[in-house]
Amino acid sequence: MAHLPVVFSAVVEGLTDEIVLRRVVESCGAALGSVYGKNGKDSLRRQLHHYNQAANFLPWIVLIDLDQDADCAPAARAIWLTAPAPKMHFRIAVRAVENWLLADRETLAAFLSISEAHIPAEPESLNNPKATLVNLARRSRRRILREEMTPRPGSGRSVGPVYISRLDSAPPSRKLRASGKVDENP
Amino acid sequence: MATKSAKPLRFTALHLENWRNFTFVDVKLQQRAFLVGPNAAGKSNLLDALRFLHDLVAVGGGFQETVGKRGGVSKLRSLAARRYPDVVIRVNIGSDDEPAAWTYEVSFAQDNRQRAFIKRERVTRDGVAIIDRPDDKDKGDPERLTQTYLEQINANLEFRAVNDFLKTIRYLHIVPQLVRDPDRSVGRINDPYGGDFLEQIARTTEKTQKARLHRIGDALKVAVPQLAELTLWRDETKGAPHLRRKYDHWRPQGAWQTEEQFSDGTLRLIGLLWAILDGAGPLLLEEPELSLHPEVVRFLPQMFARIQSRTGRQILTSTHSTDLLRDESIGLDEVILLRPSAEGATVATAGDRAEARTLLDSGLSMADVIVPLTRPEHAAQLSLFGG
Repeated sequence: MAHLPVVFSAVVEGLTDEIVLRRVVESCGAALGSVYGKNGKDSLRRQLHHYNQAANFLPWIVLIDLDQDADCAPAARAIWLTAPAPKMHFRIAVRAVENWLLADRETLAAFLSISEAHIPAEPESLNNPKATLVNLARRSRRRILREEMTPRPGSGRSVGPVYISRLDSAPPSRKLRASGKVDENP
Repeated sequence: MATKSAKPLRFTALHLENWRNFTFVDVKLQQRAFLVGPNAAGKSNLLDALRFLHDLVAVGGGFQETVGKRGGVSKLRSLAARRYPDVVIRVNIGSDDEPAAWTYEVSFAQDNRQRAFIKRERVTRDGVAIIDRPDDKDKGDPERLTQTYLEQINANLEFRAVNDFLKTIRYLHIVPQLVRDPDRSVGRINDPYGGDFLEQIARTTEKTQKARLHRIGDALKVAVPQLAELTLWRDETKGAPHLRRKYDHWRPQGAWQTEEQFSDGTLRLIGLLWAILDGAGPLLLEEPELSLHPEVVRFLPQMFARIQSRTGRQILTSTHSTDLLRDESIGLDEVILLRPSAEGATVATAGDRAEARTLLDSGLSMADVIVPLTRPEHAAQLSLFGG
């Protein structure tokens, strides 16, 4: 009999984080249940202790961006969540979750239709990975990606109008597929 | 593979004087724009200026009918109007590359028999005036000033493109009760409130209709997961069209429901999705978030953008929704802020407010920045109404 996957509840900062976290959790053979938060980092941090209490009983994942708030993840963790509950999985993306996407250069290059050589080799050294990702989309050979993922001049925003749905439609990581952990035809 | 094609025309700027609750408006319009402001700030009135232009050129429209339908010039003219009481509507029509390929301006007042007459009508193409009224003929026969050139086929030959463009404007504000009970709006055609919504669907060719309903059905599954299939059928007694959908439940065959049993949210979403697929001209929407779950609302701006990157269609929508404005990509120039004042409501883009850009850069969402600016000043007093 197939064993049932562990279901995690999650708290994230925004829609992008949810997309990435879902892929990560599912690639580990677990499943994502209800996803809370999605109202920005400040709101997540304010409500963190509620979720931590819930994690006394059921498995929870918190995914939060380090940004420039501390030099390294352990330092931030010591400030943000001093006493994690037994079933709390508190995860910090250094500097932001986009770093994780940049780290899989092969998949990202194929998805964005750009040369792998353009993707920085050490994503964790980037200060603003989201801007890097958007700038890479600017180089895309596909017009639709350039238009949908990069902001219009004058908008004053950092991402394009369909940035999030585009990320959601990205194919699964080739590395994960090769390892056989992701079912291509769910 | 999509090929690069010429972007369709859209409104690039709107100028109003003494229109309804505005004394003076001068605002740029992007391909996607969100009108925000407290209740009765004039969001619908602003959209109505564009609907006014549509009605001028629509079948059964024309200048006198369009003004008459709105209760005459005295109902249209701003109560705050002072020295220059003419009502002026001017639009720039073009694209990103050529924002003022066309401009159309009409200004009007009423004579002493309370009949609307045109004070000025002006059309430019690439900055050159094609029409500038009153012209010599008008001076010889003032009766001519009771009609626009725009509405007359004989007179609009040189700017037929403007006429054609204005005809493509669509306005939508589906009221689910009217969709369920079409008898209330018998005889209406293209009713923006949905009175003949089912008839509109039935009027499309079978192929288009099936393709669209299939696409809508797929999109709806996100919001209404139990939904299995969406089709149009006619009842045999009256021949009236009905939307029918299949509900998946524990019975293997599922069960069929018609629009009479659809929830308000489902009907509104169907209406919204249909309107987005129907036509390519500017689409004017009133509060598309009504009755929808916040998680669905959050994706509306992206859905609009996606349609636009395929068709180039302009979508102007009024909204009160914090969830909608939380979208990360809504630009400062896409939010149009309406605020009431003693001299008529003021209209500006969010980018015109110096603090907005700073706040956004610091990481706040557009909703955090904008909603406080649109809140009625004394909203808290409403709680005292309970006594």
